[in-house]
Amino acid sequence: MTRTLCPSRALGLPVAALVLIVLPRIVSNSFAIDIFVRVLLFAFIGVAWNLMGGYAKQLSLGHAAFFGLGAYTSTILLIRFGVSPWIGIVAGGVVAMLASLPIGTLCFRLRGPYFAIATIGTAQTLMLLFLKFRNFAWGAEGTTIPYRGNSPMMMQFDAKAAYYYIALIMLAIGLAITYWIERCWVGYYLVAVGEDQDAAEAVGVNVPRIKRDIYLISAFLTGLAGTFYVQYIYFIDPNTAFNFNVSVQAALVSIVGGVGTLWGPVVGTILLEPTSALVQSWLGGAHGGVQLTLYAVILMAVIMWRPTGVLGVLTGAYERIVRPAPSGVAGTATAGPKGPLDG
Amino acid sequence: MAGVVAQAVVNGLLIGGIYALVSIGVTLIFGVVKIVNFAQGEFVMIGMYISFWLASRFGLDPVASLVVSMPALFVAGVLLQKFLIRRVLGLGDMPQIFLTFALSLLLMNLALLLFTANYRTVQTSYTLSAIHIGPLYVGVAKLIAFVLAMLLSGALEVFLRATDLGKAMRASAQNREVAMLMGVNPDHVFGVAMGLSLALAGAAGSLLMPFYPVYPGVGQVFVLMAFVAVVLGTLGNVTGALIAGLMMGMAESLGVQFVGADSGLIVVFAMLLLTLALRPSGLFGARTR
Repeated sequence: MTRTLCPSRALGLPVAALVLIVLPRIVSNSFAIDIFVRVLLFAFIGVAWNLMGGYAKQLSLGHAAFFGLGAYTSTILLIRFGVSPWIGIVAGGVVAMLASLPIGTLCFRLRGPYFAIATIGTAQTLMLLFLKFRNFAWGAEGTTIPYRGNSPMMMQFDAKAAYYYIALIMLAIGLAITYWIERCWVGYYLVAVGEDQDAAEAVGVNVPRIKRDIYLISAFLTGLAGTFYVQYIYFIDPNTAFNFNVSVQAALVSIVGGVGTLWGPVVGTILLEPTSALVQSWLGGAHGGVQLTLYAVILMAVIMWRPTGVLGVLTGAYERIVRPAPSGVAGTATAGPKGPLDG
Repeated sequence: MAGVVAQAVVNGLLIGGIYALVSIGVTLIFGVVKIVNFAQGEFVMIGMYISFWLASRFGLDPVASLVVSMPALFVAGVLLQKFLIRRVLGLGDMPQIFLTFALSLLLMNLALLLFTANYRTVQTSYTLSAIHIGPLYVGVAKLIAFVLAMLLSGALEVFLRATDLGKAMRASAQNREVAMLMGVNPDHVFGVAMGLSLALAGAAGSLLMPFYPVYPGVGQVFVLMAFVAVVLGTLGNVTGALIAGLMMGMAESLGVQFVGADSGLIVVFAMLLLTLALRPSGLFGARTR
């Protein structure tokens, strides 16, 4: 995104925030609120993925690993030890974060496509392991989260709007972290790694360390999302927690929206998630595969014709229509300044 | 005990022939075109559906339907290169990964829409027959698949070493710029490499059909094996992929035998992680990267 501040943008954020806050009061339809919650949740996962996949171009297809670890950590704490999911969600994030250390150590030995494959492998291995943990983690059958009525201390609410606000806060945190990273040296380093690892290393970026650190943050946030999702749907099994679709969606919303941009994952989710929910409710469960077919076609179209994503298209159009682009500022969405490493 | 191990090794080796075919396809595309084809497994699936269709409609033997599935997928590979892959070459990792990844999702889910999730099998006269070699049982269908897989791999090896086109392919795998300076036409070479690679996937599908059920997600089983085998056998190394493919088959089979029926994949991923930890450049790569 361009970094120029203009009055309309300064005003836009508070207005958008206000609209988002009052939205569940205006729309009371629970189907609509469910879609809103999913949009916020997947935008949040997309934001977490984007930190790594967008800025540092470490294309993970295994974020389901962290989603699942977060989900299982809080659920095991809740059911086995009666620990509130409010503590569990942080614990889940921390477990996901810790897991990212060994996973990263192994997977970062590979680059590009083979990094992606290794991450798929780790997520799949975790799913297979949790299928085997029959005594401790309920194996393939999974378990339901015991319903205790409206108990805010246990992250259980009768009103769906409550989940909406939690997801909204999580997304705001994710965006704030991204905003901060984009603007401090970490962001420049990440973009440098994303552009060319060897060149970044040559100018003194500690590449392994920066990759490890961003993986930690990304895994932590994804772990939070896992706990939230389980608390939202009241059910967990390995197939839900480590579902490959989570990994796919995380990457997909970012790429469709605009990879390596602050708002890209949000824009991508707003476009994709309601579309797929509507298609699904329209066709019913009868046509398995419609949703992913649709996603695949959208993904291919974006890659072939608009690699900067929807946000790139919008920014480009905005710059062309509203004002002539200042020289040197490209309307692309490839994230932030490219040069100033030496400055 | 020794008999059990030997039987598991033989079973693994036989299915490993199929893994080798898929792996060689992946590594060939990676070596020559420099992209990873996430959709390779889906082309195995398409090969299987072609054979299934020919068998159920015309009673054609699945192994004989190689003569249809291989050319069909060769053409598909050339077209894929011409209309999709060519447009993302040189654009960096992201478009390349997600293009073939999206293709994989698309083919798998289209198959789900068109053919439903049902498992389909083809019964041949030799599906259930086995021959005894000493104390070992060897399934005839698997043996045929293995022998043909090895013949096809050998034929590819001869093609790469003895023909001009094959040499051009190896040259562009080694150094694309220099190969182009020597007059190699990259579009042509890449197209043929894609075609050959998909033809091998199609062959794997046809060879599997007498003893393996086909369903839309079947490709995932083989592509994961192939990816691990390709890392283990060093990226872009055809012989390495062949040997590693056979090893993967044996590792999986021993895992199923000694860890548990659902543990084949765990053993495979454990091998991937071990490879990454101990020898990231694979068995046949240089130590430095």
